[in-house]
Amino acid sequence: MGVVHGQEMVLNIGPQHPATHGVLRLQVKTDGEVVSEITPYLGYLHRCFEKHCENVTYEQVIPYTDRCDYLASMTNNFGYVVAVEALMDIKVNDRVEHIRVIMAELQRIASHLLGLGAFGLDVGAFTPFLHMLRDRERILDLFEMTCGARLLYNYMWVGGLSHDLPVGFVESTYNFLDYFEPKIDEFVNLLVHNKIFVERTADIGRMPQEVAVSYGVTGPNLRASGVKWDLRKNDPYSIYKSFEFDVPVGEGGKGSVGDCWDRFYVRVLEMKESIKILRQALASLPKEGDIHQSIPKKIRPPKGTIYKRTESPRGDLGYYIESDGTNIPYRLKMRSPAFTALSVIDEIAAGWLLSDVLAILGSLDIVLGEIDR
Amino acid sequence: MKRYIIDIWAAATTILGGMGITLVHLFRAKNDNVTLQYPEERWPRPDRNIGFDHSNYNVIRSRLHVDMDDCIGCLKCERACPVDCIKIETEKVPNRGEDIKEIGHVGVTSNGSRKAMVVTRFDIDMTECCYCNLCTYPCPEECIFMTGGPNSDKHPIDYEFSEPNRNDLIYRFAKPGSREGMAKIISEQKAEV
Repeated sequence: MGVVHGQEMVLNIGPQHPATHGVLRLQVKTDGEVVSEITPYLGYLHRCFEKHCENVTYEQVIPYTDRCDYLASMTNNFGYVVAVEALMDIKVNDRVEHIRVIMAELQRIASHLLGLGAFGLDVGAFTPFLHMLRDRERILDLFEMTCGARLLYNYMWVGGLSHDLPVGFVESTYNFLDYFEPKIDEFVNLLVHNKIFVERTADIGRMPQEVAVSYGVTGPNLRASGVKWDLRKNDPYSIYKSFEFDVPVGEGGKGSVGDCWDRFYVRVLEMKESIKILRQALASLPKEGDIHQSIPKKIRPPKGTIYKRTESPRGDLGYYIESDGTNIPYRLKMRSPAFTALSVIDEIAAGWLLSDVLAILGSLDIVLGEIDR
Repeated sequence: MKRYIIDIWAAATTILGGMGITLVHLFRAKNDNVTLQYPEERWPRPDRNIGFDHSNYNVIRSRLHVDMDDCIGCLKCERACPVDCIKIETEKVPNRGEDIKEIGHVGVTSNGSRKAMVVTRFDIDMTECCYCNLCTYPCPEECIFMTGGPNSDKHPIDYEFSEPNRNDLIYRFAKPGSREGMAKIISEQKAEV
């Protein structure tokens, strides 16, 4: 009797595959069920975002930033306008800052809802996905009420906002928060502690702290590995300094620190923190203040460069802008958090089973629009 | 052995917990139902009467419309468009602010500005439009807007505008025959000189 030798097989997942959250191709080397190497291939959604930005004016970049991370357009706008305002040294008034924070936090909840729901879907739980989308719909209704759009807003402008809050927005948001807070607990009972779900995620795909830091992973993925790093706390932009909230980190509640379950649960906790911020921001929202007050007539930043980063739902979203004094950016570089989250996949998913790879990919919560840009 | 029983117990209780939630929702299905039979029923749109000067804001994203009688051909919307889906061509009018009956050109806008240009082509390609609303803000005559916005009494919102033919989504707002008419007028002028 001779020894049976396994043979490595190369398998393509995607580009058209529901579990890859977009058009991503993963070339997977498998030995039986065990995955030994993963190579992500990008570029199926490349739209030349950065080259486009060198040809349109500073205002016209904003609709393009919407389309990068299309699940969190508000925070993309936010990061861009914060960067241009820092370059032009514009101060916006308190009302604008409050509205921006409210929108960004609502968007964070909406984005996490879809991310969590899709992750549940990846590991085979269909019902929570519908619960998530139902609640996300209410946030989109709030956005539609404010600026008319449900997904790609072009809402935050350099120096202000496109629309003021409509009458009844504050009450509607309070209503939503009152409705949504119990729903989180229901969701936790439905999926987070579910034994089948825990078996699929706990101890799977551990991302050790050193790996996360050395790859530059940010956002909930980094915090799940136990690093307390949140730009809203560590490098506060806008008015996040004046709000009280905690930064949840992964504690290995069901398995070990930095596993898929932790990455999932950190997002659940983050939604609760966002609700905290939202309640404070709504309570302290100034009644007075013209939202168009500091919008410059012509956006012509002085010569110079700036790199400004903000905390998007997926992590550290940075914009590097180089201005040559005209109304068109000379160079615009975007640092996308989802890209670094995807780059770590080979490190953390090698050695796991094929079905676990999809769970790990889902737990990273990537958006291909942002990775390819 | 103890571990084994604890695991089974955890699995049974958590799954029953999830089932319980599903069961509760089953009985509340009437109240919680979010599915709408779309063509027959529609969501109520948020109230557009938003309590401040309406003309400054266009809280809607729908198809673009241009009131050609008010357009002065300043090209500001064309320049604002990030995807260049608006194409405008203009000709100088012989006498500023005068009507040209042959091509249906109105000389004075509803705001009272006297037009110096005849718009011979005003095409908006709605297949390219990204609904960013950037074109509606710079318009000095407020003549380009998304339907259902400030001028909703004249142009109610209409977001169901699918067409069987892609070319039908290129909206041509310029008065038909204005290009030929203007070419004729200009050649007549040259002949007189």
